[in-house]
Amino acid sequence: MPIIVYRLLVLGITTLAVVAPLSLVVYQSFLTAPFFDHSARLSISAYSFVFAEDDFWQALWTTAAIAGGMAAIAVPLGALLAFLMVRTDVPGRQYLEPLILIPIFVSAVVIAFGYVVAIGPVGIFSTLAKDVLGFVPWNVYSLFSLIAIAGLTHVPHVYLYSAAALRGLSTDMEEAARVSGANPLQVALNVSLPMIMPAILFAGVLVFFLGFELFGLPLVLGDPQDVLVLSTYLFKLTNKLGVPSYQLMAVVVVVIIAITAPLVFMQRQLLRQAQRFVSVRGKGLKTQALRLGPWRWVAFGTIVFWLFITVVVPLTGITLRSFVVSWGEGVDLLDVLTLDHYRELLDYPNVVRGITNTLGIGVIGGAISVVCYTAIALAVHRWNSGWTRLVDYMVMVPRAMPGLVAGLALLWVFLFVPFLSPLRSTMFSIWLAYSIVWLAYGMRLVSGTLLQVAPELEEAARVSGANDLRVKRDVTVPLIKYGMLASWLLVFLIFVREYSTGIYLLGPGTEVIGSLLVSLWGTGAIDLVSALSVVNVVMIGVGLAVAVRLGVRLHG
Amino acid sequence: MFYDAARKIELPAEKRGLGLVFQSYALWPHRSVFDNVAYGLKLRGTPTAEIKARVDKTLAQIGLGALAERYPHQLSGGQQQRVAIARALVYEPPVILLDEPLSNLDAKLREEARAWLRTLIVTLGLSAIHVTHDQVEAMAIADKIVLLDAGTVAQEGKPTALYNEPATLFAAEFMGSNNRLDGTLLEISGANATMQVFGERITGLPRSKAAVGSKAVGIIRLEHVRCASVPGPNRLKMELKAPMYLGERWELAFAREHLTVRAYAAAPLAPGEHYVEFPPEALWVF
Repeated sequence: MPIIVYRLLVLGITTLAVVAPLSLVVYQSFLTAPFFDHSARLSISAYSFVFAEDDFWQALWTTAAIAGGMAAIAVPLGALLAFLMVRTDVPGRQYLEPLILIPIFVSAVVIAFGYVVAIGPVGIFSTLAKDVLGFVPWNVYSLFSLIAIAGLTHVPHVYLYSAAALRGLSTDMEEAARVSGANPLQVALNVSLPMIMPAILFAGVLVFFLGFELFGLPLVLGDPQDVLVLSTYLFKLTNKLGVPSYQLMAVVVVVIIAITAPLVFMQRQLLRQAQRFVSVRGKGLKTQALRLGPWRWVAFGTIVFWLFITVVVPLTGITLRSFVVSWGEGVDLLDVLTLDHYRELLDYPNVVRGITNTLGIGVIGGAISVVCYTAIALAVHRWNSGWTRLVDYMVMVPRAMPGLVAGLALLWVFLFVPFLSPLRSTMFSIWLAYSIVWLAYGMRLVSGTLLQVAPELEEAARVSGANDLRVKRDVTVPLIKYGMLASWLLVFLIFVREYSTGIYLLGPGTEVIGSLLVSLWGTGAIDLVSALSVVNVVMIGVGLAVAVRLGVRLHG
Repeated sequence: MFYDAARKIELPAEKRGLGLVFQSYALWPHRSVFDNVAYGLKLRGTPTAEIKARVDKTLAQIGLGALAERYPHQLSGGQQQRVAIARALVYEPPVILLDEPLSNLDAKLREEARAWLRTLIVTLGLSAIHVTHDQVEAMAIADKIVLLDAGTVAQEGKPTALYNEPATLFAAEFMGSNNRLDGTLLEISGANATMQVFGERITGLPRSKAAVGSKAVGIIRLEHVRCASVPGPNRLKMELKAPMYLGERWELAFAREHLTVRAYAAAPLAPGEHYVEFPPEALWVF
């Protein structure tokens, strides 16, 4: 097979997988009824209907407020955290690093459940506070708490990019500032942080963008107070009119994508700019940590406090809850310890299927996805052609679709295309949705590995007489083997934690832990939810432990 | 014809059947020495037994017979380079191309590798194209040098011809260490060209067809410049600036206004004014 056939084939399949769901959504948004309804006509009535809804506008402004608020919290904290971790002598840095990244890897619904059972009205920390203070000084079900929690749990995203940028910068300029007499805080504010501004700016746009994707937190924390964001508004629309109101959902989806797509494009431009900055790289000199003196314990305390709020509180809350019958005022936790919730999990065949399916999608599905991402990356690798730009853009498109939206679009594709329908209730549909949603992430992992293959290793094979495909098989793929394994592990972590993509595809046979958690939460089965959440966290914990052990970089 | 931009010919690299030794060697880190060398034969569908025989023979020729099972990272830089050469030789290409093969070796090793490479090329009767920026390396290793200037051939010929009879100013200045005299062309008569420098008449060998009265450039190798204490033909009065001790000899730098002339001497001279002589048979006037 000539290489061009392979390339065009891969390009065609990728484009189809990305464009089909998107175009179906856009088409549906201009119909008067679901696309399978024969009475459906072309019209903009769905837009008029949605735009006349107060709830919709309310949700839109709330989303913008949350996105802006969480960026305002996460960006300064994340940048400061990066400076403390990368440039100063804060104690125990190597142990703190993996802990800081936990909020990225734990599913947002699990964190939300954790907050509810920990600091909700009858949460364990709330009862403790009531015993001591006589009242509960916080209310988890408020817009303010939602913004604060969203902001704090997104600090690691900013941290990752800021830290990477700082590590890429030579410390010469900081040392020059210190020699001139600047104290550590002045060094941070006047030299280090301005130099990584492009990276911080990128992270800010990223967090703002992630604000529009938020689903788990507002669903769990906002819903009881009728705080709706676009994603939860979309979720609620499902049953709004009693009949499937696909055209209205499609309109909301189009609105969401119309907001996120420019943000994705902006991130792409900013990332390029940030990377250009990073190339001002010093030689691999040993960097001298900035001495904070006694202040390093203040910094350490602040980091630990933040970790306590964002990691310890929700995770201990959910874990404790999964081992007790109930709690409240005057209940001694030791009296109510139980393993029943875990036994109960086994009584529900759908939950058992959900657990095995989750493992399956993580291990097997993840492996197949990495193979697919590699196939795409190899197709454009060293391809000197304008077509590679098309692939770049194709990969960006699903990034603009939040998981919930992509899952919905995929569901419609499976309903729309006759020969695909039988696959809808199989794990294939879940796998396809996950693979498309995480296409950009996976491609970045694999391309990063491919970039490290020196071009002359491939040229040497061509000179020896191997054609393009043979070079890929004999040289490129063997060289990126370990990179592919690392990508597999990271994709496993992502797939196991994923909860929003599978919601619309949830049915007998396609249960995964994430979507089950959302649907069980709706029924109020808090015992099951907490036990299943812990199972999910344990799976992720094992994956993370293996990754750290093998020295896999936790960020692409 | 492999490549011709004007005629839009570009044969894919795998169809050229050439041997290429990369500057960075480009040994495949996931293959052993044996497999690195055997790959070209495998691609040509050579039977396994024959591959074994030919790889062993090639490795023996380059003196790495014992290291066939090692991986590239277990070899020294010089050994890696030999493997790269073996890999290019094994399928007996009509020509092997060596792309600055010695530039990754440190100075001492480079001289050894140069001698080894020259011997290998002569004993195996190879046709090799050796790309290099190092003129000493080029003269030592080549039967014929092609000097390229911005993509076009400036001069080609035996190393001795290039060094002793440069055809152009570029070739003259590129080879060896040179002094450059700027002046005006006074006359050309037969085998002599006379130029005026600081009002003195300096005679050399004419190398271009420049018109009398136009600007001329005289080029002379450092080793041909002589020092004298009295005026004479083809001598310029100059001041000795900085004598430098190079070990086997001294290098003297003379100056007069913007002109600097360097020369070698067996012993240092006293600072001050001297006469620098440019023997007419060693000075090229362009």
